[in-house]
Amino acid sequence: MLKNHIKISLRNLWKNKTLSLLNLVGLSIGVASVLTLLFSVYAYYTADNPIPNKENIVYLKTILEDGNDYREAPYPLLDKVVNTSPDVIAGTHLHGWGNIWLEHGEKEFQHRTDYAEPEFFEVFELPLKYGNQETALKEKYSIILTEKVSRQIFGDTNPVGKTLIGADTLNLKITGVFEPISPYSSFRLGVVLPNTLLKDNPTFIKQTDWSNSFSPVYFKLRPDANRANLKTLINQLVQENYSDPSLIAGLEVMPFTEMRTDIIPVVDTIIGGSIAASFFVLLIILVNLLNLNSSTMLRRTKDIAVRKVLGSSKKNVVVQFCIENGILVFVSIIISLVLFLLVNLPRLNNTFGAEFGRISFDLTKDYPVIVGIVVVGVLATLMVGILPTLRFIKVPVSLGIKGKMNQIKNNFLLRNSFIILQFTIAILFISIAVILNQQIGFMKNADLGFERHHVLVGNIDLDYKDLDAAKSKFNALINDLEANPYVQSVATSEGVPSDYYFNYTTYSDLETKTDVRFRRSYADDGYFEALEVPIAMGRNFDRNRDNLKEYPVIINEAGMKAFGWTSIEGKRLKFKVSDDEGHPIVGVIKDFHYQDLQNAVEPLVHIYRDKSALNRHRFLSVKVVEGQEQQISNMITAAFNGISSRRGYEQLQLNDKVSAQYQLIDGILKSVNVTAIITIFISCLGMFGLISFLAKRKVKEIGIRKVLGAGVAKIVVLLSKDYIILVGIAAIIAFPIAWYAMNVWLGTFAYSISISWWMFAVAGLIAFCITAFTLGLQAVKSAMANPVKSLRTE
Amino acid sequence: MLLQLNNIFKWVNSGGQRIFLLKDINLDVEEGEFISVMGPSGSGKSTLLNVIGMLDTFDEGEYNFLHECVHTLKEKHRANLYKEYIGFVFQSYHLLDDLTVQENLEMPLLYKKFKGSERKAMVADMLDRFNIVGKKDLFPVQLSGGQQQLVGVARALIANPKLILADEPTGNLNSQQSEEIMQLFKKLNEEDGVTIIQVTHSEKNAAYGSRIINLLDGRKV
Repeated sequence: MLKNHIKISLRNLWKNKTLSLLNLVGLSIGVASVLTLLFSVYAYYTADNPIPNKENIVYLKTILEDGNDYREAPYPLLDKVVNTSPDVIAGTHLHGWGNIWLEHGEKEFQHRTDYAEPEFFEVFELPLKYGNQETALKEKYSIILTEKVSRQIFGDTNPVGKTLIGADTLNLKITGVFEPISPYSSFRLGVVLPNTLLKDNPTFIKQTDWSNSFSPVYFKLRPDANRANLKTLINQLVQENYSDPSLIAGLEVMPFTEMRTDIIPVVDTIIGGSIAASFFVLLIILVNLLNLNSSTMLRRTKDIAVRKVLGSSKKNVVVQFCIENGILVFVSIIISLVLFLLVNLPRLNNTFGAEFGRISFDLTKDYPVIVGIVVVGVLATLMVGILPTLRFIKVPVSLGIKGKMNQIKNNFLLRNSFIILQFTIAILFISIAVILNQQIGFMKNADLGFERHHVLVGNIDLDYKDLDAAKSKFNALINDLEANPYVQSVATSEGVPSDYYFNYTTYSDLETKTDVRFRRSYADDGYFEALEVPIAMGRNFDRNRDNLKEYPVIINEAGMKAFGWTSIEGKRLKFKVSDDEGHPIVGVIKDFHYQDLQNAVEPLVHIYRDKSALNRHRFLSVKVVEGQEQQISNMITAAFNGISSRRGYEQLQLNDKVSAQYQLIDGILKSVNVTAIITIFISCLGMFGLISFLAKRKVKEIGIRKVLGAGVAKIVVLLSKDYIILVGIAAIIAFPIAWYAMNVWLGTFAYSISISWWMFAVAGLIAFCITAFTLGLQAVKSAMANPVKSLRTE
Repeated sequence: MLLQLNNIFKWVNSGGQRIFLLKDINLDVEEGEFISVMGPSGSGKSTLLNVIGMLDTFDEGEYNFLHECVHTLKEKHRANLYKEYIGFVFQSYHLLDDLTVQENLEMPLLYKKFKGSERKAMVADMLDRFNIVGKKDLFPVQLSGGQQQLVGVARALIANPKLILADEPTGNLNSQQSEEIMQLFKKLNEEDGVTIIQVTHSEKNAAYGSRIINLLDGRKV
């Protein structure tokens, strides 16, 4: 019997090749995208699984008076808390101090470097592939590698006990290798060293006082710990020990499990969006299968009736349909797996990899995703196999055998609600895509307050092997550039737009007692010229007039406004806690967008530092006469090839660098676009099925109307009118939802477009055109049919 | 007695009026009879046949089939009853288009849960008896109307039913083909003792039967 069912199913599928193919394509694409979304969600939620008891881990967050925050706290706080709080089992720092160069044989490597207390493993218990947690960070000259780094240097062998040369002088013994860490984990590690190593470093010692916050602090708490008490205790310690406790609003004890969303808040949007999108796509697929199945039913009422006459039970009919749909569903699951592994996953990694790291699929670890999709497949099969059959199986045999189904209750309403639902979702995604496209276009093309075209930007913090030699060659290059007629200006600076350090200092106006927190950077006298940032007040830096020792500064208008100044006459930028004279302010620049448009322009100060400080600037920016970029670029690259350094010189157009800020949001846009295309595509497949169903039902009506003289156009309208209205209703439901959702989301951008009606009009038009095309295909075909034929068959 | 209809009524309500499809039908059928049901279009011939075949229900009256009271049986039991004892032949053959001749013949046996080897033997026997061995792997569309109806009759016979219900079995056939089918029916009736009830418009075909029932507006005349 089963063999027979399968045989008949295959024949049926083959017989309706077009419909089966439509179904298969829709299903495969849909399931592949669901699979991709689910997998990334799964990877995200399980990424921190290797960390046992992570719910007992907390980290500290410094909250500033203005509501800003950062995840660092002063160094000595850790010991104080561990020694005084009854709730804390262990604590550790985990911070960088410059990435260390490692040597193995001839080869040199640099990876992200973190320093931690030996108690690191008491807090995090991150499993080690090789080595012992107890002793891994005990020795001063030890180093733990991540699995990735270990593989890169040593291949598959166990490197524990071997030695790496660190920073040319240190003999670092490898004491452990971590188990692979998911890139979606809270941890981004390269190598981990004990921070006892830094205790010899005088600069480091100087920083480890109560006035510097540079290290995140983590604690492992008792399971029954009282976090409110801990917070009170920590804030008490702040009051007792901080050199100026009034600088901050307080410290917050944050659960480690929330750290990821705290670091990249948009993660929440992405994960939430992924779950919603996969749910919706799944829904659309199901509805679609239901619709397409119903559409084949008319032909089958007779088939079912004949089978019943021959003695088939209802169960037999249902089983037959389930098997037929099951074949479709499972073939498409297999196709979608292939699509997922070969197309979607690499694309996902290309899109989000830069921000979140690349993930890979490992069956031994990620089998729940496959199990999940198979379970969904089985449920879907049962649903789409049983539901339509139930409707048709009730048709009395005596009617069914004539192919009539007049007696079936006309639940057009039910099918219509499905269509409305499908198209609501599709139009929702299209609207979101249209609005997001506008926003990204706006951000990429907005007037940023500086010139980003024809500016070459190269990184010059290259870890020079011989700094003095490098400096003299670099100065020669600068002289050449300045003498070149195609070069308009040359600048070196610590930051360039899109790439400023998160380096903040609070300055005070002692007269008005206003404190303003400035973002701080260094630049030379060519910087504002190269970027064409207009000077609003005062003057630009001037190498002949400005004295480096006085640290003259230029602030932006936002900074001036924050102080409430109208002029900078006689003003100085003074530190809040210091008797220092402060910086002389030589000028005020117009506000420009030094960071992306998701963030507002805050007070910004540039401190003067001339071009000779090669090792302290990060960027060389050259404004070039249009058309001469390649020539100048070659000239600079050639010069850097002659300077020996550990890192290579890389050069970009400033415009590309600025646009790259939106890579993540571009990724989101791409995902939304793809989802929108998939949902509308699948919805139209279902629509196509339904209209062929309708056309078959009305074949006699169409024939009679044609005999009576109706034209093709009239028939097409007759068939499509209802569906167009349905799409209209869907649009009316979808628009307010899209408007609300996008309004909320755009609210998180400091600078955003305002949503206007025409965006919805575009979205509606797109949906309408696609729908009309789909409907038209079938409607015209039916309308063109010869009425003599259709009337004769009745 | 194979079956007995007592005072069978069937009606539909249309526009507040009750329209009778069958009106007070009384009919006794003995085993081995060959009955022809005649009457103009809309007189209730097919409805009567469907009621006898249990494909359709009736609103009033009693129906006994082999001493079972059909009107009191649940649908499932009714289905079992007709599955067991009745074979159907239709005007438009109603072969399953997706199945070959052989598979069409096998289908009723599948539903009756015969074993694979038994099915093969029965199908081979039937193919042989109807001289259609050469056509066994063809699909219905590849056959002529007469051949299709031959397969339809073979399918109705394969599970050895006591009763064959034929609704205008020759309606779609030319005269030569209908002659053949009627000869076949006659042979089945006389040699194998199969009871046959056929609906027909043709006096000539009706003459093959042992008894003629005339219907007019749902009434026996």
